Amino acid sequence: MLIIGEKISVIAKKVREALQKHEPKPLQELAVAQAKAGAHFIDVSIGPAEENGPELMDWAVKVVHEVVHKPLCLDTTNIKAMEAGLKAHNNTWGAPIINSTSNEPERFPMMELAGKYNAKIIALTLGKGSIPADAEDRCVIAAEIMARGMEYGVPMENIFLDPLILQICTMQDQGRQAIRAIKMFQQLNDPPMQSVVGLSNISNGAPKHVRPVINRNFLAMLIYEGLSAAIIDPLDKDMMDTVKTVEMIMGKTMYAHSYLDM
Amino acid sequence: MALVIPKETYSGKIYNVQLGAGAKAVTIGGASALPFLAFEGAFPNKPAVALEIMDIAPDDWPETVKKAVGGAGASPAKWAKFCQDNGADMVALRLMGTHPDQQNKSAEEAAKVAAEVAAAVDIPLIILGSGHAEKDTQVLQAAAAATRGKNCAIGKAVEENYKTVAAAAMANDHKLIAMSQLDVNLAKQLNILLTQMGFAKERIIMDPMSSALGYGLEYTYSVIERIRQAALLQNDPMMQTPVMCDIGANVWKVKEVMAPDADVPEWGGLEDRALAWEVITASGMLTAGADMLIMRHPGAAGKIKELIAELMG
Amino acid sequence: MALSGVEIFKHLPKTNCKKCGHPTCLAFAMKLAAKQASLDACPDASEDAKKVLGEAAAPPIRGITIGAGDKAVKTGDEICLFRHEKKFFNPTVFAVAIKDTEAGEAAARKIEAVKTSEIDRVGQKLRVDAIAVIDESGDAAKFASVVKQVVDGAPGVAIILASKNPAVIEAGIALCADKKPLIYAATAENAEAMAKIAKEKKASLALSADGLDALTALSEKVKGLGVDDLVLDPGARKAKDMVEQYTIIRRAAIKKNFKPLGYPVIAFPGRGDSVSEAMAASIGVMKYASIIVLNTIEKWKMLALLSLRQNIYTDPQVPMQVAQNIYKVGDAKENSPLMITTNFSLSYFIVRGEVENSKVPSWLAVMDNEGLSVLTAWAAGKFTASRIAQFIAESGVEKSINHKELIIPGYVAILSGTLEEKLPGWKITVGPREANGLPSFLKARA
Repeated sequence: MLIIGEKISVIAKKVREALQKHEPKPLQELAVAQAKAGAHFIDVSIGPAEENGPELMDWAVKVVHEVVHKPLCLDTTNIKAMEAGLKAHNNTWGAPIINSTSNEPERFPMMELAGKYNAKIIALTLGKGSIPADAEDRCVIAAEIMARGMEYGVPMENIFLDPLILQICTMQDQGRQAIRAIKMFQQLNDPPMQSVVGLSNISNGAPKHVRPVINRNFLAMLIYEGLSAAIIDPLDKDMMDTVKTVEMIMGKTMYAHSYLDM
Repeated sequence: MALVIPKETYSGKIYNVQLGAGAKAVTIGGASALPFLAFEGAFPNKPAVALEIMDIAPDDWPETVKKAVGGAGASPAKWAKFCQDNGADMVALRLMGTHPDQQNKSAEEAAKVAAEVAAAVDIPLIILGSGHAEKDTQVLQAAAAATRGKNCAIGKAVEENYKTVAAAAMANDHKLIAMSQLDVNLAKQLNILLTQMGFAKERIIMDPMSSALGYGLEYTYSVIERIRQAALLQNDPMMQTPVMCDIGANVWKVKEVMAPDADVPEWGGLEDRALAWEVITASGMLTAGADMLIMRHPGAAGKIKELIAELMG
Repeated sequence: MALSGVEIFKHLPKTNCKKCGHPTCLAFAMKLAAKQASLDACPDASEDAKKVLGEAAAPPIRGITIGAGDKAVKTGDEICLFRHEKKFFNPTVFAVAIKDTEAGEAAARKIEAVKTSEIDRVGQKLRVDAIAVIDESGDAAKFASVVKQVVDGAPGVAIILASKNPAVIEAGIALCADKKPLIYAATAENAEAMAKIAKEKKASLALSADGLDALTALSEKVKGLGVDDLVLDPGARKAKDMVEQYTIIRRAAIKKNFKPLGYPVIAFPGRGDSVSEAMAASIGVMKYASIIVLNTIEKWKMLALLSLRQNIYTDPQVPMQVAQNIYKVGDAKENSPLMITTNFSLSYFIVRGEVENSKVPSWLAVMDNEGLSVLTAWAAGKFTASRIAQFIAESGVEKSINHKELIIPGYVAILSGTLEEKLPGWKITVGPREANGLPSFLKARA
């Protein structure tokens, strides 16, 4: 399973300040640490960045690439900033991921960019107005997004369907629906469609000591159903051990007493 | 194709909670199936209807309901008697006068009123604070002590004050009303916290927070439905307490029960409209699963008792 | 059993022709699986596919349209027992009963009441949607005269023709066959004759039987006679029987896919006392009645019942939101502080509660961010400087206050500089991050 390291996020105060002041160091430290911990992609979230989006994303991509030779997951709602990031991205280390498109019209141009730059793209199965009620609703939206992908010439294997992870503490049934969706997404195409989740939202609002327990167990269930990628904190060793253990039990990696150290 | 009646298999049951003492004591709860589905479960007790009174005159209640209460509103004891005479199963005394923004009456004054009201009627008594979480702790402590032995329902215990309010109910052998804010998970959490402090879950009445017709009724409706499903189908002991809805307080503040005919001709006459608003709100809560309703208009309460009789068959 | 979208897809033509209105066959298949589309929309479905998918793709409760034109009403097509499971789709149709003995004056008053029944509530237009003409006299001519009065007086309004006598129905439907009325009702005694009329006139047909077993038998019989659009009346009139019988019908249809009961239900909660009738009707709204025929439709009663219907049929998946507006907290004056937050209801209630606690009268600007919390809304690009600036500028708040200072949540302190640029002349103040910091923050300023 692909790990997308989530630490460079504008939601974090340290990152927010670094982005504001154009300080490369905090970003670079987080990038290096996550790559070392096993991240396959580094998420770079700059927020909406209404003012200086393109310039900020260009800067952030270059700064991270200076120290880490991994593809990035570019995270902003700002279309121009996204395009600047795609231009700045060094594809010798792999194609970047656009984070994200959805079934909301204002996010359609993201899919167009995926076609234009041959990038991978995360597609939230979310439409305008209401939250999808169940896995079936998510598949309805997924099929529409896939059709849009075809229109823009995005190969199906470049799309990662995201079932939209919601807080278990206020929308309990949605956790189960997301798990069902991961299974159903795979059947939407041959070869199977890929999937991704922003994991930690499942435990948002829950008490601090409960959150990691929910996160880890939820992730195990998702991987079992065939999840292809997860946006998580690779510096969380318990979390990474969960990934390794589930993959080992599923027979995707070979067991050895020291499998956790690999 | 013959029809096989599709019955649910229920593994849980709602607790029986008795309020009051003596011949006029009332038991609520006890259901072993979703509301009014007598073909697949038992309903030993009918939902109870309480009429609301206050420790102060109902001066800021809308005209329609004030008129229905009439002169009785001048004295809490007289008002309570009026409710009993008008067919209420219980009386709910709201100690509104203790609110700092109202008359800021003292806990002692509140306790005195509670004792007077308890002496004036022999139907069960519900004692509610003013909803000011901090002040309610003193007020309810004093009122609970003053009505010891009457097996009242004391409330509302909320997240901010549940420990003190529950302790007051426990010390004086009363039942407890625990209110959470329109959220099944928070409702369960509050019951867990109360149980963890040693309050018997079989003595709790759950208030999921009521809302009026047209003003979020559907949220309360679905919350109660989900509470009832967890209680009966998942056999969740923390959800098996009876459910109470504070109907009147939510209904008698919306535009539909106050706007004069001339302002909104398309809404029809105020008297009928206001009464219907409380009746239909109550019908919604009953259908979802409420075991106990607090209402304000004696006429509306009378109609709802008619509906309850019809639903119980 | 219900088929998955992928299984359905295998039976579709896979031409992606878009004739069904969906971008691809896969998208259409997913809609079919989610019971949000009908296979009829695919003009190229093979006979084989129709056979395989027909039963499986059919919604558990058949959707039926009564009336024609823009006032036609759709009913049925429901897929769950509890609204929180997904949602209730087609709101209960309210009809008023006009007896043929009321011909003339009394009927005219009711027709007028239907025509003026529309109210506007939270942006939706709600009204009495149908008129049921009831054969009370047994006289076909009299019945027909009232049908004519309704057709002429309330053109377009959906019609229910109620009589157990096929000859009376024939006389009535001759005047409104183009309006796709609902016939009430076929019984064990008249089923053949009623089915013949319904088939000929392409009308939907209600079935009336005493109890669920008799209703099941009647449903199979009439379906066998070639009528597809059926409506059910198991005879429940008391509230208890309504709850029980309608629950069994809905459960059998949805959980057991029991086809004979997979149709909308019609209820007759009529009472002499209008409040009692409203209460019984309210039970019907909540407990699965698709059509409710009322004796009277006073404005106060319809306001209550239509509001209940609107509440119950609201989509529970739409996050709880507060309307975008500038709210007054306490006795706010023109020099009172102005704060902004998102319309996530919890944000609003908590912020409002803390402002009230502070006892500092204030203005609270609540911005529509589709119900997201502050930080989430901002990250999703829905609580940005330009959107806030536009909202404040268009809100008209400047008319209520004599200052130009806006307090923003501490979480989005980052916006303050940009906001000052976008709102020329305004001072942007960064408030506390959490709402519980508001009382001390506000008191310190006061």
